[in-house]
Amino acid sequence: MPEKAAKVETGFAGRQPGLWAGAFALALCAIAYFEHRGFLGGWSSLPFVAAATLLLFPLTKAANNRQAAAGALSPATRRYNRRMLIWSLSYVLCLGIAMTVRNYLHPQGALLWGIAVLPSAPMLFFVWVLARYVVEEEDEYLRYRQTSAALIGLALVLLAGTLWGFLETFGVAPHVPAWWVVPVWAIGLGLGQMIMASAERRADRT
Amino acid sequence: MKNRLKVLRAERDWSQSDLADHLQVSRQSVNAIETGKYDPSLPLAFRIADVFGLPIEDIFLREQ
Repeated sequence: MPEKAAKVETGFAGRQPGLWAGAFALALCAIAYFEHRGFLGGWSSLPFVAAATLLLFPLTKAANNRQAAAGALSPATRRYNRRMLIWSLSYVLCLGIAMTVRNYLHPQGALLWGIAVLPSAPMLFFVWVLARYVVEEEDEYLRYRQTSAALIGLALVLLAGTLWGFLETFGVAPHVPAWWVVPVWAIGLGLGQMIMASAERRADRT
Repeated sequence: MKNRLKVLRAERDWSQSDLADHLQVSRQSVNAIETGKYDPSLPLAFRIADVFGLPIEDIFLREQ
């Protein structure tokens, strides 16, 4: 059953998850740029990465508010948003630990394997979160909407991955690490939700 | 699929949120069904029929 919109914030930033997602992406890009230029790196980057990660809290809150305002915040959706926040924090934490250990301990053998696998471990939780949402969502239209958006994300991953793979094979594009599949899928998911929202607005007008 | 949800709501002076509360679904679901963007499952169609006290075929119309 949908939750009432009484708790919805009316401020612009409180209902714009895209704004916070953009700020988060911008902060990570800025950190990467300063690391590339040698102004940041290793321990000195960590406070900035931690500060950027804090942006995920208002992002999640804004997503909840926006969905509530649109009459689309079911209990399952709220749990999904909260679990995705936990996954994001775990991913950043595991990645931070792995990078720090690699940079300062220069591990070999089993420890190197361990830190290489560590950032992927939260992906098990991520997959579980997706599966739980499909099981727990009682509102069939919201489930259809989210599943459709996820499939659009998957389509983008398959298209971009295949295209880039062949570009690499034929030597006309540089190598891109495979972990980019998650950010590309997330972009596709966001794109899918925008397409669905646009279709709803069109249907509203007719 | 075309339907008479909007008319039936108006007859009862219900908003989309009111109908959503009766059906235990989101307002967005009611909007999607009402505008023909989404066809409900058979169980949900029966719930809609029960809420309005009408047969399903009096609410959802066959497309010619």
